Amino acid sequence: MRKIGLTFSVVFLILMNALGQNRTIIGKVVNEQGGGIPNASVIIKGSKAGTTTNSDGSFSISVPGSANSLVITSLNFTAQEVNISGKNEISVSMLPSNTVLNEVVVTAIGITRSAKSLGYSVATIKGDEITKARETNIVNSLAGKISGVRVTGQSGTVGSGSKVVIRGASSLTGSPQPLFVIDGLPLDNSSPGNSFGNGSVDYGNRVGDINSDDIETISVLKGAAATALYGSRAKNGAIVITTKKGSRKSVATVTVNSSVRADNVLKLPAFQNDYSNGNYGVYSLKNVNGWGPKISDVQDVTVKDFKGDDVTLKAFPDNVKNFYETGITAINSVSLAGGTENTDYRLSLGNTNQTGVVPASKLSRYNINLNAGRTFNDKLSVRTTINYIRTTSVGRPSQSANDPNVLTSATFFPRTLNIQKLKNNYVDPVTGAQISLSSDKTGNNPYWIINNNQNNNELDRMVGNMVFTYKPFTWLTISDNVGTDFYNEYRRTKTRKGTFGQLDGAFSISQIYNNNFNNDLIATIDKRNVIKDLDLKVIVGNNYFQNSFRTLSVSAQNLTVDGLYSLGNAATKNIDNFYQRSSLVGVFGDIGLSYKNYLFVNATGRNDWNSSLPVNNRTYFYPSVSSSFVFSELLKSKKILNFGKIRAGWANVGSGTDPYSLDFTYTPATTYFVQYGLSGTFPSAGGLLGFSGPGTLPNANLKPQNQRSIELGAELRFLDSRVQIEATYYKTKTTDQIIRIDVPLSTGYFSKSINAGSVSNKGIEIDLRLQPVKNLQGFSWNIDFNFNKNRQVVDEIGGGLQSYTLNSAYSGLVIKASPGQAFGIWGTDWLRDPNGNIVINQSTGLRQTKTDVRFGDIYPEWTMGINNTFTYKAFSISGLIDIRQGGILYSGTVSGLRTSGLAIETLSNRGKLFVDKGVYLDGSGKYVPNTTPVQSMQDYWSQNYQSSNTVANVFDASYVKLREVRLSYAIPLNKRNATFIKSAEVGLEARNLLIIKDFVPHIDPEVNVFGPNQIGEGVEFYNVPSTRSMGINLRLSF
Amino acid sequence: MRLINIKHVLLGASLILLSSCAKQLDINLSPNTATTVTPDLLFNYGITAWSANRTGGDSYIPFALSTQNQASGGNYGWGKGNVYDISPFSTGNTWRGYYATSGNNFVLAIKSAETATPVNNNAAAQCKILLANMIFECTTIWGDVPYSEAWTSTISYPKFDQQKDVFTSLIKLLDLASAQIDISSQLKISNYDIVFKGDMVKWKKFAASLKFKILMTMVDKDPTAATEIAALLTAGGMVDNATNDVLYPYTTESGKENPKFKILKQYAGGANIFFFANNNVFKYMAPLNDPRIPVYYQMGATATTFIPVETEDEADDNTATININTLFKPDAPDVIYTYQEQLFFEAEAYARGIGVAKDLAKADLLYKKGISEAMRYYGVDGTIYLGLLPSLTSAVDPVQEIHKQQWIDLIDRPFEAFLQWRRSGPEGSEFPTLVQPAGTPAGGFLRRWDYPQSAEIIPNINAPKTAIPFTTKLWFDL
Repeated sequence: MRKIGLTFSVVFLILMNALGQNRTIIGKVVNEQGGGIPNASVIIKGSKAGTTTNSDGSFSISVPGSANSLVITSLNFTAQEVNISGKNEISVSMLPSNTVLNEVVVTAIGITRSAKSLGYSVATIKGDEITKARETNIVNSLAGKISGVRVTGQSGTVGSGSKVVIRGASSLTGSPQPLFVIDGLPLDNSSPGNSFGNGSVDYGNRVGDINSDDIETISVLKGAAATALYGSRAKNGAIVITTKKGSRKSVATVTVNSSVRADNVLKLPAFQNDYSNGNYGVYSLKNVNGWGPKISDVQDVTVKDFKGDDVTLKAFPDNVKNFYETGITAINSVSLAGGTENTDYRLSLGNTNQTGVVPASKLSRYNINLNAGRTFNDKLSVRTTINYIRTTSVGRPSQSANDPNVLTSATFFPRTLNIQKLKNNYVDPVTGAQISLSSDKTGNNPYWIINNNQNNNELDRMVGNMVFTYKPFTWLTISDNVGTDFYNEYRRTKTRKGTFGQLDGAFSISQIYNNNFNNDLIATIDKRNVIKDLDLKVIVGNNYFQNSFRTLSVSAQNLTVDGLYSLGNAATKNIDNFYQRSSLVGVFGDIGLSYKNYLFVNATGRNDWNSSLPVNNRTYFYPSVSSSFVFSELLKSKKILNFGKIRAGWANVGSGTDPYSLDFTYTPATTYFVQYGLSGTFPSAGGLLGFSGPGTLPNANLKPQNQRSIELGAELRFLDSRVQIEATYYKTKTTDQIIRIDVPLSTGYFSKSINAGSVSNKGIEIDLRLQPVKNLQGFSWNIDFNFNKNRQVVDEIGGGLQSYTLNSAYSGLVIKASPGQAFGIWGTDWLRDPNGNIVINQSTGLRQTKTDVRFGDIYPEWTMGINNTFTYKAFSISGLIDIRQGGILYSGTVSGLRTSGLAIETLSNRGKLFVDKGVYLDGSGKYVPNTTPVQSMQDYWSQNYQSSNTVANVFDASYVKLREVRLSYAIPLNKRNATFIKSAEVGLEARNLLIIKDFVPHIDPEVNVFGPNQIGEGVEFYNVPSTRSMGINLRLSF
Repeated sequence: MRLINIKHVLLGASLILLSSCAKQLDINLSPNTATTVTPDLLFNYGITAWSANRTGGDSYIPFALSTQNQASGGNYGWGKGNVYDISPFSTGNTWRGYYATSGNNFVLAIKSAETATPVNNNAAAQCKILLANMIFECTTIWGDVPYSEAWTSTISYPKFDQQKDVFTSLIKLLDLASAQIDISSQLKISNYDIVFKGDMVKWKKFAASLKFKILMTMVDKDPTAATEIAALLTAGGMVDNATNDVLYPYTTESGKENPKFKILKQYAGGANIFFFANNNVFKYMAPLNDPRIPVYYQMGATATTFIPVETEDEADDNTATININTLFKPDAPDVIYTYQEQLFFEAEAYARGIGVAKDLAKADLLYKKGISEAMRYYGVDGTIYLGLLPSLTSAVDPVQEIHKQQWIDLIDRPFEAFLQWRRSGPEGSEFPTLVQPAGTPAGGFLRRWDYPQSAEIIPNINAPKTAIPFTTKLWFDL
């Protein structure tokens, strides 16, 4: 806290100093909708002095008395000259430049290019878009906004992870996520799991560490043609982040952005409230379910509750709702930016404090960012960026199953549970022991878990780079960008003595260290008019990238002193360590030709040497070529079509594999497998170690895998850009994949590494921007549509296989690839007769099953985002609707709610004779209609809907969500009153406000139990429910 | 900072980066694993993983409930369901153990022992004997299974051998192992031999007993096995005292307890609320007040006597549970072979006259000795009980009396109980006479497991593709 105080005083000192100048003009540069235009250049006419606007478009400039006007310029807007005589305060409304020929975007290796010259699709999101309704994880702020980019939240845990996939998953192995790059440095986005423990804890994804207020722009490079220069790391696309800089020749500006939000559970299960806990209608404390007596039938008797009190049963309909709390998120950031003739600087401090909807869970994050540049002379300049991030979190819940600390299954309360009473009585005041929810102590009291058994982590991360730029000649630039991104994460999971399932207490700690080092040495030759009307740009470069990753994990059990989580206090300890290193050396080149500024051709080539591949196969070359033709430049009239471009790109990318996959080696075993999450540990009985041969038969002759892609697109703008259409067709095919195919276990191995398999993705992306109303007496209306339809097809698996397991989940459910289809969920289906009727077990009246059936795609058929923005003078309101159509989701929670008789639908037919619709095989071998009633509805639900009956628990994962709503108002400031505030804006913001339509009962369909770097999705297994957040935002600049 | 320096630094840095290229790429040798290991380390991993499967939720529980020598107590206990519906995870994990996790490590250990200089024959034999036991389990669960072409790096799709051939191959493997044993040699797995600590005399006896057990399983279908049975009975050299019991020990140390106890520890607060006394065993113990009753079972919380329950029926507070202080205690060993098991097999051979002349008097001696050993194993005095038992020479069905004792003795060994029930008589005459558990589909008893699909059948082009109903008898099962 002392440090923060110090930063603030420095900020204010500089600020006061800045204000001590003579005549100061303050103002704001806005677009037609009234939104601030950041980074617009404000120059005093007739001089070189000037400044740039800050993130909300406001500026402050000190002018000599003689100055009469300012010249305001900004990319994509028509320059304006503004008279300042006699004014201290101005407002400048900028009109878009008539042509869109000057837009520039950031592309691979940080190369800025003019948008019109690109032969591939690049989407750009401005920092402004992200900072209005800020997400704690910036990945979420991409949701629904860019065609072809699909974001899936993982859970409602504080600091939860999000997964982003661009144009569909292309590989059978490895992470499907794109490469993230910040200021030219690859940004780690890992989500390492834990060595010990079963429950899946959502520790987030590492890109979530970045402070959204530090972001100037995000460029999304969707296809391989766009990312070819990054090489194999970007085969799933790239998301290139550029951070904010200070402006040269400007006074220090302080910007403050503060948000406070309240988070609630978005969707809670619909419970029955008629039946208590028990077994076949008889009340029993042993059961935590809804299969007891009808509450209204037992009002004449008293029974013991969990605490041992005699009570008359009564339903508490809101007991689960009241278990969850309102989480509070406060995001504050302050930045100081400015510059002199030769230097610029921006220093920012961000702080996020969040408490979760699960009681006692919280997260705190500090971000410090410095971005400073200096030009030494007209040949040499240097820029450095340093980010320091510290994240701490407490009480991230354990999800899934087979772990005593899994919380959400414990919130399946009997409907008669008084949650307030449970909260106040989770510990016996005399003995200090846990008071269980059930008499047989099979489940832990959720308040015991949240108050004692927490998953905590602490992360310290540095991301920094230096860019040296040397321009020996006007046409030659040599730059070297050297940087590192490393973090140290400490995780601790505590299980207190007295926890059922771990009565002696336990804890585990993991130390995770990851380091990326990257160096790019690039020379750029930029020659105008090489021959008449022909410009040439040549880039050659060398890249060196190295990753090292290590973990040290200790699992300790059998604690002596209660509450002391120190290794010396544990009778049993198991230790595991892991170290991994890989490196990549690349040489690349890029030749760009532009003819008369409307025809562009670009070719790239890159050769990589990858340490993970066999020495003879570790080098591979891949080319790309793309072209753009701005045909509107040849049109005489631009009245209707003011911009038109067609483009095409082709690329071929190779990639390596995991390190250490080539040699036949023996692994020292740390555990041996036992079902139900009960794996034992080595040394085994007698203190003996164990080694095991490999599960995967290695292959010393692996080749790089290969991805080819093409994309074709058109960009059209009509009626002075009031109608804009961008459409892209793409197709990628990834072959020679390095996969571990299942081999018959009788060979002694689970799998072997081979080059095989082919996966194709093809699809269309459409972005449509409309402006139905344009500045009609201050009123404007903008609509943005984005649409993506992607079809993934597994062409072949190889090795003669008809299916390939991508991820195994719980209860026999697997995510598999199979030829001719997209990745899908496989599991247990009902057994059916030739006419499709369900086959019933004649003796029980219950359904029969068969295994290994495919249920559907894990991916949607199409996704769409619709954003409407209404602006009236200083008011702006916008709403983003996010639509997903298709794909399926398996829900463990739904299974749990139904088998336990808690879901509202389990009320049907209770106590009545119920004959399930179906058939059975009679003695003569014919299928006849079933006549056997189920013995009870408890049997019907608990057996037919058990989690291993996949068919009973898969649903259409489509949804329509109101993703984001924001209302902002730029407060008109009476500048004459000499306040030093340059601009102020307040906003109301809401995220994940509403599920307008979905098809999964009881839970939000947007959830994923696998980590973000796993291929598998579409599976929910007792995840923390997702949240809705609403809040207020204030942005000020001085 | 002078310009020239910066230029040199940049140039120099890039040169260093480029030249160190090859060195920076030669980093692909794993620091986490070893390129060679001795057989003892692989042996210990193999046996530990195997025992963990035998005693855990993938094998012990499904066999105990489907064989009906323990009871689930319905929804009051472990949960009601179709006990013949064996999870694909359980079938897959068990198969995986036999072939990959344990099996392949034994094969790799044998290779390591036999290619060492000097050759470590004893280590190879120790691994072969355990491999034989495992594959014997495997074939008695599934019938035809890969053996002759398994674990061969040149064969991608091992064929499935007929069960008879698997049995024959295992007998050969045991003969090889036995011949390979060099009792005088110090080259062996000793410290890492958790079973016998390198006592090769005991290994040799176990090899002979295991061969005997395989032959006793085969003999009803293939009477020629009787010849070898006779040879073994004549030659002796099989397990002949309790110190030769084949046990995998567990300890009370956290994480190293018997997996079946860990189920109760983790999911039942350390009490047995899941598994109950099945009347299909209890009813044979009650009439003579078998002294093993209080060892096997604990009375229900509100009961004053031991009250069993039928398979899958709802238990209640009166129902006796499987005793957590004995059978389900944390340090209960995994029982792989016992002296009483040997004695009962021998008694059966003499009572039936398999390979040897039928000799009920000799059978009775072995049978009584077997009971007495069983009692001793569980720490109770069998004198009174033995006194009440009639002699086999006067029993109506002496073989059934032996089967009864085998059935009672195998309470804690569900896999062996399943095998014993199937080999105890032709279909319909097995001991004990059971009824199909509630919740199982009409059509007969479970006699085999479904082959694991994703782990073997789907990827193996030589695997049988037509599903075999689990009610279909295996080759040995009459």
